[in-house]
Amino acid sequence: MAGKITVFNPEGNAPTVGGKSLAPRPDSLEGRTVFLVDAGFENSADFVDQLRASLHEHRPGITTVTEHLSTPFDPAPDLYARIAAEGDAAILGVGL
Amino acid sequence: MPSPVPGRTSAELRGYVEGDNPVSGNPFSRDLFDGLTRPLDDADMAGATFERARSRLLEPATEDDLHDLFLENGWTDKLPIVLPTEERVAAMLAGTSRAPGEVVGRLRAASTRDYWEFTVEQAAANAVMAGARPEYLPVILALLGSGYSARHSSISSMSEAVVVNGPVRDEIGMNSGIGALGPYSRANATIGRAYGIGSQNLQGGSAPGISYMGSLGNPFSFTNLTFAENEERSPWEPYHVQHGFAPGDSTATIFRGVRTMITSGGIADDWREHSARRIFNATRASGGVVLLLDPLAAQNLVEHQGFARKADLIEFISDTGRMTARRWWGHGLQELFFGYRARAGEEPWASYLAADPDEQVRINVPEDVHVIVVGGRSAAAWSVLEGMANGTKLDRSLSGRTVSVDEWR
Repeated sequence: MAGKITVFNPEGNAPTVGGKSLAPRPDSLEGRTVFLVDAGFENSADFVDQLRASLHEHRPGITTVTEHLSTPFDPAPDLYARIAAEGDAAILGVGL
Repeated sequence: MPSPVPGRTSAELRGYVEGDNPVSGNPFSRDLFDGLTRPLDDADMAGATFERARSRLLEPATEDDLHDLFLENGWTDKLPIVLPTEERVAAMLAGTSRAPGEVVGRLRAASTRDYWEFTVEQAAANAVMAGARPEYLPVILALLGSGYSARHSSISSMSEAVVVNGPVRDEIGMNSGIGALGPYSRANATIGRAYGIGSQNLQGGSAPGISYMGSLGNPFSFTNLTFAENEERSPWEPYHVQHGFAPGDSTATIFRGVRTMITSGGIADDWREHSARRIFNATRASGGVVLLLDPLAAQNLVEHQGFARKADLIEFISDTGRMTARRWWGHGLQELFFGYRARAGEEPWASYLAADPDEQVRINVPEDVHVIVVGGRSAAAWSVLEGMANGTKLDRSLSGRTVSVDEWR
C-alpha cells in the first residue's frame, strides 16, 4: 500500500430506475390512427406538418392527429391518456 | 432523420421526411414505419430496472493514478483538482454544523433526466476538489442545495452567475471590490468552481454529447461568475433585501440562463438617451437584465441621472429596452416559453400576443431587471449580464432565486 492513498467517490446517489415495458405494437398502420406530437422547439411544428402532408399523400389509409405540447419541459398526462385511448401509435417531433 | 430542423424551409423538411435515413441508408419513412410496427421481443416487453452501486471510498491508488481516474471519469472541469482524501473531507466538514450524512438536495442536468440525491459529505468532497476552504462550505451547500444545476444540458450553453450578500462575504474573504468578477479571490473562484464540479458529479455527470448539449459551451461555467455585492459602497438597499431577506442575513443568488455580458463605458450626461438605450435595446427577449454597476457608476446615476431609488432605475431599464412584438415573439423559443401562458390570458404575454406586430413592447418586464453594485471604484464602469432569478418564471428550472446561506452554517 506504500504510496497509495484513499479518497472519496465524488459522485452523488443515482436513483433506482424502474423500466417500463414497451406498448404492444400494431402489425400495420393501415386504418389506424397515428398521433403526431409537436414538442414545440424551433421549426418542429413545420416538420410535423410536413410529415402529416407526406403521410396523407403516400399513406392515405392512415389517420393522423396533430397535437402541440404546451411545454416540452413538463409531463402531459392528459395527452398521454388521450393517445392511449384514441391512438394506435405516436410520433414525437422534437425539432432540434 | 437528417438535422438540423431549425432554419430549414418547409420544402427541405419535406425532403427529410421523404429522403433517406442518414444512419441506416434506408428510406426514412420505411424506418419510421418499421419502428412503429416491428414485433417486439420478450426483452422489449419485460422492461428493465437499473440500480447503480456506489462505494463511499475509491480503491486505494497512487495520487497520479487517482488524478488520471478523476479525469477519465469526467469528475473534474479538466483543470487540476485537490484529491478528496479522508483527512481533507473531514476538515471541510468542520465548516458546517450539518451532519455528514444529511441529504443536501437533488440535482439533474435537464428536466428529462432523473434527479440524483446527495449528502453533506458528498458535497464536501467536491468542495475539496475545487480548492475551497472549510469556511466556504455553507455557501457551497446553499448553492448545491438550491436544486439548480450549474451544469444544465441546454443546447444554448447556459451558465450560472452567483451573487453573495450579507455578512458571510467579509467573514470568508469574498471580493466585492477591484477585480471581483476576475481571478483575484480564492473564495469567489473556488466557491463558484465547487458549485460547478459539485453539480456535475452529484447529478451523475455532465458529458458532452450525452448529458451536456451546449453547442458552444460557456467560459463562465468554470467558476460560475461568483462574486459578492459591494453593499458598503452601494447607494441603494442590498440585492437580497429587495427579495425579502434582512440586511444581516447571508444569501446567495443564482442567476440562470447566463450567456452574455455586454460592457459599455462610463456614465455620460446623455446616458439615458444614448448608452442606456443602445445597451438595453441589445438584450435578448425575456432573457433578463442584470446590471452590474461599479460604485462610482451607481453614485453617478443617483447624483446626475435622478435615480435616488433603485426601483426607478429598474423601471427605466424595463421601459427603455424595447423591440417590436414581431421581433419579441421571433426570438429563440419565445413561443415555447410564453405562447401557452399568453393564450391562458397571463399578462403581459397576452397583450404581447394581441399587439400589433410593429408595436414596441418591453424586452424585459421590471421583475426580470436586476441591479447589483460591484467593483472597486477605479472607474465608473457598468456591464449587463443576461440572467434570470426571482422574476417571471420561464420554467421551473430556467430561473434561479435567492437562497439562504445561514441555514447551512
